[in-house]
Amino acid sequence: MAKAIRMKLLPPLALTLLLLGLFVFVPMLSAFEYSIRTPATGGYGWTHYHWAISEEDFFHYIFRSTWLSGVTVLITLLILVPTLVWIHLSDSKIRGIIDGLSLLPLVIPVVAFAVGAQISFPEFVQNTVLELPFLYFVLALPYAYRSLDIGLNSIPLKTLSEAARSAGANWLRTIISVIIPVIRGSVMATIALTFALSLGEYTLTVLLHWDTFPTWVTYVAQDNILGAIAISMMSLIIPFIILTAVTLVIPERNMQGRK
Amino acid sequence: MTSQVMEEGAPLRRRAFLASFTKNFLPAVPFVLIFGFFFLFPIARLIYVSFLSNDNNFTLSNFRTAIQEPYRTGFINSIKIGVFSAAIAAFPGALAAYFIETRGNSKLRRTIAVMSGVLANTGGVPLAFMFYAALGIQGQLTKILKYLGWDLYSGTFSLGSFVGLLIVYSYFQLPLMIIVFSPAIVSLRREWSEAARNLGANQFNYWIRIGIPLLFPSFMACSLLLFASGFSAYATANALTVGNLPLTPLQIGGLLDGNVSAAQLNLGKALGVVMIVISACAVIPYLAIQRRSAKWQKR
Amino acid sequence: MSSKSLSLRNISKRFGTVNALDNFNLEVGVGELVALLGPSGCGKTTALRVVAGLEQQDNGLVMVSGKDISDMPAHQRNMGMVFQAYSLFPNLTVEENVAFGLHMRKVNKHLRLKKARELLELVGLDSHNKRFTHQLSGGQQQRVALARALAFEPEILLLDEPLSALDAQVRVNLREEIRRLQLSLGTTTLFVTHDQEEAMAVSDRVGVMNHGVLEQIDSPDTLYNKPSSTFVASFVGTMNRIPTQISNGMVEIFGIKVVALKRGQESGNVYALVRPESIEVSRVAGAGHAKIITRSFMGASSLIICQTPDGSVIQALMPSHYSGDLHPGEEVNLHITLNEVLVSNV
Repeated sequence: MAKAIRMKLLPPLALTLLLLGLFVFVPMLSAFEYSIRTPATGGYGWTHYHWAISEEDFFHYIFRSTWLSGVTVLITLLILVPTLVWIHLSDSKIRGIIDGLSLLPLVIPVVAFAVGAQISFPEFVQNTVLELPFLYFVLALPYAYRSLDIGLNSIPLKTLSEAARSAGANWLRTIISVIIPVIRGSVMATIALTFALSLGEYTLTVLLHWDTFPTWVTYVAQDNILGAIAISMMSLIIPFIILTAVTLVIPERNMQGRK
Repeated sequence: MTSQVMEEGAPLRRRAFLASFTKNFLPAVPFVLIFGFFFLFPIARLIYVSFLSNDNNFTLSNFRTAIQEPYRTGFINSIKIGVFSAAIAAFPGALAAYFIETRGNSKLRRTIAVMSGVLANTGGVPLAFMFYAALGIQGQLTKILKYLGWDLYSGTFSLGSFVGLLIVYSYFQLPLMIIVFSPAIVSLRREWSEAARNLGANQFNYWIRIGIPLLFPSFMACSLLLFASGFSAYATANALTVGNLPLTPLQIGGLLDGNVSAAQLNLGKALGVVMIVISACAVIPYLAIQRRSAKWQKR
Repeated sequence: MSSKSLSLRNISKRFGTVNALDNFNLEVGVGELVALLGPSGCGKTTALRVVAGLEQQDNGLVMVSGKDISDMPAHQRNMGMVFQAYSLFPNLTVEENVAFGLHMRKVNKHLRLKKARELLELVGLDSHNKRFTHQLSGGQQQRVALARALAFEPEILLLDEPLSALDAQVRVNLREEIRRLQLSLGTTTLFVTHDQEEAMAVSDRVGVMNHGVLEQIDSPDTLYNKPSSTFVASFVGTMNRIPTQISNGMVEIFGIKVVALKRGQESGNVYALVRPESIEVSRVAGAGHAKIITRSFMGASSLIICQTPDGSVIQALMPSHYSGDLHPGEEVNLHITLNEVLVSNV
């Protein structure tokens, strides 16, 4: 009853945002409060954050996770952009097949994929950390593929590439200086998504016995739970802020206007 | 005469084949190679090995063990947590997506999309520690709730228990629902509600006859995806449970690490294959329904 | 059929800082088809949506046969509306779509499906009744939308650019069909469009709107031949604006003095407003020197574009068999075939 009355007083959107805000930020702030407790003095301080960033491993693993994610983004773009452009242009019969393949990773639980990966690759693959970006590429594929596909669907790709080709550009130039700028919205979305997913990937990484930033956090937690919580807070809040800032700065594609 | 034609015909045909290959297949080669090697090959091998005994003969015994205790309980718990976490998050998530998409401006919609993306994808371990800090015995939220008269820890509650995991899972399930259900809301055209009003339908009639029938397939589809996500979640559960709650992903992880040893070397593979089958039962209908409703959006 | 008259009195509607409707007045008689024509953003769609109750006006009254319905919610207004496109319910079959209005009016299933099939027959789609709407072409969808809007015998029919998403040929066919149905059912109709040819072809009267105001509302002939403002003159059809001076109520055009039809206090330098079909191009001597830039053959008539020595560009529309020997680059003379012209201030 009381709820019904409040529904009338509060516009539904405001109510939704309020509840979502409580849902997201109450545990987060509460965890933040925990992470700035200093048991030694009984007060508050940045002790655990100081501890975290003074650890040599902190930057070591941030650096490692970042470059692995960077490589993943690179692989994703290098493979997907040309393949998708070609698929859209040629109307090839295998478009349906590739569309379907790209969704397949959604079907497979990451744990099962990790088991498969562990028993399949030859040693020279298993022995290099560079296997991770390729596996992250697979995990991000359903999202990355869809995002680029939507971008390419919303532009007159055939006309654009024919115009660029007849103006003397080769395929590489056409893709780099014509197509990518036109779909930069969905390219940026793909980059953000792939990067975020690789940066936070835990299951596959830990089951294949690699160390990255997320797995290091669990390792830290064994000795210093407060430090691990401080690190977790940073690794949740920092991407929040960066990605929000980035999306708000990128202009919205005018193609997706809603009436 | 005839032989000359035949001699010329062969290279021509070869060239035509090459041209058609170049046009129709060549550009797909890098994708197919990488995807094949890093995805299809491991999955195929996983399935193959799951049928092998310790001395590499064909056997079904891995699967027989996989559906017996303690793995049977693992599956039941995993399915239960998938179902419950999806059921808890689906409706609130759908409602939130509806209000955000229909009443929010573009900046708000994009901000929520990003925040949901971060929570749904990069959650995992940080999420577990965050909840440990918030809802652990010493957590501030626990204290607040206790102050309000609700002592979480008066019973058997712990974050590693079934209920505890449900709470933590909802933290990535709800954003996931917002992400996957929003396109369905966007595809609900304003013209439909206006046409319905114009034809004499009040809000209730519009929702009963048009709105809900149009959204329901997507809602079910997205709930299935949420089930698959909760069913196969590993990171959070691994960080929060201490062996007290058998879940299939954790059991596979244990076998893979060698922390748990089993008489059958390939038992973990069989568990993985059963997980794939269960997950496919949810995700494939999801994909099929999504594809079908995409038709309405075109025209 | 119980058709009603419609009148809008002093309607105002603002969106933020934009005045979509500014003290807007409109009367539509029983059984009449009135088109609202204007550039995009002129407020014509807003006017229609206010009538439908999909938009609430800030001020003013909407009256149906003298009864004020301003506060009546959209779903009680008993008006049929056809939208631009995509308004059919995708989860219902064609006949369920058409029967929807009757369903909402609690007509029993048998009767409403019977009525739906009757209407589908009227729009030539009776064989498609069991299909889903995404299986139909754009033109067929709009026919179904029309049948749906008429099925519950609305007091007023509202058409919101119903043809704008269709191909040219389908468009012409369907607009004729709309007019035929409207005449036979006698439904009072308000038709919003940005296509003047469409508006002129099917309407009893056309209202030209600009900036939320009705500039002029008249029969298509009057609108074309006696536009009441420069905006209407230049928006409806093509109009040459020939610079000249006014003296003693006369203007000189191509060396010939003709009567100036003033609407206000025009004086001194003015534009004479002359339709292309009132200008003749020929080699006969005269004072209207010009050079042909292009000649476009359009079947029965040809459009000749000329430039006068002072630089203004003049369009002339002549029967093709009189203009076949005129070629670009040729020096010719222009003649006016009217003895009175509209003028406007520069």
